[in-house]
Amino acid sequence: MAKILEGPAMKLFNKWGIPVPNYVVIMDPDRLAQLGEANKWLRESKLVVKAHEAIGGRFKLGLVKLGLNLDEAYDAAKEMIGREIGTSVVHQVIVAEMLDHDEEYYLSIAGNRDGSELLLSNKGGVDIEENWDTVKRLFIPLDETPTLESITEAAHEAGFTGEIAERVAKIASRLILCFEDEDAQSIEINPLVIRKSDMRFAALDAVMNIDWDARFRHADWDFKPVSEIGRSYTEAEQQIMDIDARIKGSVKLVEVPGGDIALLTAGGGASVFYSDAVVARGGSIANYAEYSGDPPDWAVEALTETICRLPHIKHIIVGGAIANFTDVKATFSGIINGFRESKSKGYLENVQIWVRRGGPNENQGLAAMKKLQEEGFDIHVYDRSMPMTDIVDLALNS
Amino acid sequence: MSILANKDTRAVIIGGIAGVNAARRMAQFDFLINRSLTVQAFVYPPEEGQQKEIYRGGELNNVTVYSSLEKALEENPQINTALIYIGASRAYQSAKEALDAKGIKLVTMITEGVPEKDAKRLRKYAIEKGKIFNGPSSIGIMSAGECRLGVIGGEFKNLKLCNLYRPGSFGVITKSGGLSNEAMWLCAQNGNGITSAVAIGGDSYPGTDFVTYLNMFENDPDTKAVVIIGEVGGTLEEEAAEWLGKEIRRIKVIASIGGTCQDVLPQGMKFGHAGAKEGKKGLGSARSKINALREAGAVVPETFGGLSKAIKQVYQELLKSGVIKPEAELEEALLPALPPSVQEVMKQGDVIVEPLIRTTISDDRGEEPRYVGYAASELCEKGYGIEDVIGLLWNKKLPSKEESEIIKRIIMISADHGPAVSGAFGAIIAACAGIDLPQAVSAGMTMIGPRFGGAVTNAGKYFKYGVKEYPNDIPGFLNWMKQNVGPVPGIGHRVKSVKNPDKRVKYLVEYVTKQTTLHTPCLDYALQVEKITTAKKDNLILNVDGTIGCILVDLDFPEYSLNGFFVLARTIGMIGHWIDQNNQNSRLIRLYDYLINYAVKEEREVPEKK
Repeated sequence: MAKILEGPAMKLFNKWGIPVPNYVVIMDPDRLAQLGEANKWLRESKLVVKAHEAIGGRFKLGLVKLGLNLDEAYDAAKEMIGREIGTSVVHQVIVAEMLDHDEEYYLSIAGNRDGSELLLSNKGGVDIEENWDTVKRLFIPLDETPTLESITEAAHEAGFTGEIAERVAKIASRLILCFEDEDAQSIEINPLVIRKSDMRFAALDAVMNIDWDARFRHADWDFKPVSEIGRSYTEAEQQIMDIDARIKGSVKLVEVPGGDIALLTAGGGASVFYSDAVVARGGSIANYAEYSGDPPDWAVEALTETICRLPHIKHIIVGGAIANFTDVKATFSGIINGFRESKSKGYLENVQIWVRRGGPNENQGLAAMKKLQEEGFDIHVYDRSMPMTDIVDLALNS
Repeated sequence: MSILANKDTRAVIIGGIAGVNAARRMAQFDFLINRSLTVQAFVYPPEEGQQKEIYRGGELNNVTVYSSLEKALEENPQINTALIYIGASRAYQSAKEALDAKGIKLVTMITEGVPEKDAKRLRKYAIEKGKIFNGPSSIGIMSAGECRLGVIGGEFKNLKLCNLYRPGSFGVITKSGGLSNEAMWLCAQNGNGITSAVAIGGDSYPGTDFVTYLNMFENDPDTKAVVIIGEVGGTLEEEAAEWLGKEIRRIKVIASIGGTCQDVLPQGMKFGHAGAKEGKKGLGSARSKINALREAGAVVPETFGGLSKAIKQVYQELLKSGVIKPEAELEEALLPALPPSVQEVMKQGDVIVEPLIRTTISDDRGEEPRYVGYAASELCEKGYGIEDVIGLLWNKKLPSKEESEIIKRIIMISADHGPAVSGAFGAIIAACAGIDLPQAVSAGMTMIGPRFGGAVTNAGKYFKYGVKEYPNDIPGFLNWMKQNVGPVPGIGHRVKSVKNPDKRVKYLVEYVTKQTTLHTPCLDYALQVEKITTAKKDNLILNVDGTIGCILVDLDFPEYSLNGFFVLARTIGMIGHWIDQNNQNSRLIRLYDYLINYAVKEEREVPEKK
């Protein structure tokens, strides 16, 4: 799932004719004053200012301000930009028209194995959760486009009537087009609002996930998806991502503050099982890590050094299944170099290292790892005959 | 017995280098179980017509690369399986073509990062066609003793350790590629090995699911139990549980589900495979999957490490109930060993290979080149120069300071002799014809021979002969030369003479004899010879070739190396001329008619051919 920010999502909505409120994205509050001179709506409408960042719970953090005039919006933007929230910094805010409206609706679409499902409700906004049972669902088989009539019928079943039903159906049909053509995984508009005086609709708030793997066929995707981990990336995570983007194979890192068991594990499947084993035995992980696809030794070395620097760790789990084609000797030489380098810089004191691995050149790799004992590392090395995640048990029982 | 892949499987691989590497791994398995080559063709337009070398043990096979699947199938109609290794942006089209091909029943996709919609469409298309589309992001399919599709199973040694040379009783279905290999090992270590193992891939919408293969395993009488390794996200594991609970099944199911850690991690923090994402309200959580599978009767240990025990337990039960008959293990020694490469055998000292060439001067196998043992950087560090490298590589000796100074001067005064001489002129003509540097310099270089620059070696050689055979008898030497060689190389000049001496010769002789302590028997001898020849004719002076030749002999360079000094020195000049002509953007040279004497027959009619 690759979530994108509201700005790029609104741009895609515009492209497919889904009504959105007027909006601007700014990095400098002074720009808002200039934009105000150019845009009547900024001067005459009530405005909403939101931090344009991947930060959860923005409302509670004071990163969403409603019902402002242009001057107040300027003050709000000035206050938000540069604010630090945990490891994140607010760099951008989105300033949008706060449409006076009469009703709030719910409209969403999400992919599934056989196609997608359109969800409609005339009880949108904050009420949607408690009215979840009234949501009308329309299954759309893969590569089929429902007729406007069938969508209108679904709108009627969802409780919409008359012209509003027709207009909602029209917007839904455009949402389906946007979903299909932009390789979206899900789009949720909540609320879709209506001002009945001039029958104006607008998607006031929306969450859109796109399939980042499909970017090769979308020349106009000039944005990047936001962090997949519910917060913005730390510097260390960003560094590992930068390496990941440059190499064959991959290296991944997610920091989990507060944990004391570090993972330096191989493979997307096995790494998750190692995290599970730690949690199942009552431990707490300091990170999630993964290297796979036979990455170069220097990339694994960089990952190792980053993990050795995690604060308060007591154990490092160098785990992995029996690799199909990742060279154990080569990747271990990266890990060994990383350990040596970290030790020389004063890390790894009182840290126990637990190793279990198999795969191409396993004997040489494990032997080299074992030799670290002679250099004063507290390291325990096991081969394939040790059940994969049992080194976690050994670590936690030590 | 097995599912999906068997002894009759014949595959085409669509894709480049990753596909070729996979074919090599697959051929190792073919060798292990002594079956014919599984991979029969490659499809990769950029390399159309090439042959890829695939070793099945010691047997070398050439497998053709075709530009299209259609052509590959036309020439190899026996192909019934396609492996997709091509990049994500072309994977959909390739897989669709393969599903369209009449003879192909199974398409398995190794490619990662394929858009979800493409995978969904391929799944639907395969179902419509009654075929199997496995993947994307699948490491492959293994049927023990029958067929390997992809690199599943890893290195050769592991194939043996996992008993993959003969069928066992366990089926394996995993989302993860790495864990498919782990699961095969667990089945061999704690049971009797596998029938087939399938990796369905960790994407959100794989082309197949656990139920697809559970049904196949249920219908395969040799499979008695199936190990499933699933993870958080989607509902495939729940569907497997539903399948298991629906009616009494012949096969036992053992499962492990990854992602329970997500219950305790900060909200929204997700990692692992693309498909490993929990849905709203806990849908597809690892815990719900584990519960569903346990309720349906599957054995689900609390951690992955518990799988070993679970498999062992199920195996023991099946043995006890007589469903599986105990089988004697094959002696490891009876299994074939992969023929090692020459390098590997040599390392172990089991073979003698006569070297093709021998070198005595340099070695670059270490961190940097070594010249006769000395590291190049250390020579630089300690103040040695290019003359010393020449001394080492041409004569295996480090010259003294004095000797280096002489060598340096020889090169300096020989570096160029203007554009009119054959070598420079040749290089210039080539440069003007737009020829590149190495070839243009070579054109000049081809001029070096008996009449131009090539006299150094012979001068040195014969004066050295004179010193040795006619030490105090110059006339005797000249007489010998006249009878056996002809004019003395190194003596005589077209324009220079006693009255008009060659400045270079004068300088070199004076420098070597007066400013160095070099012992110069050969040069002294040549100067004696010059006295006699110039008495006969004014221009029979010791020329620059002769001088250099003699000095180099006195420096103890091997006589056949002497022309090398001229070649090396003049290369500097010729490169200079080439650069000069290019800087000036010189045009093609054509000789003017007035520079040619056309001493030819008059114009005349061509006679009829007889």
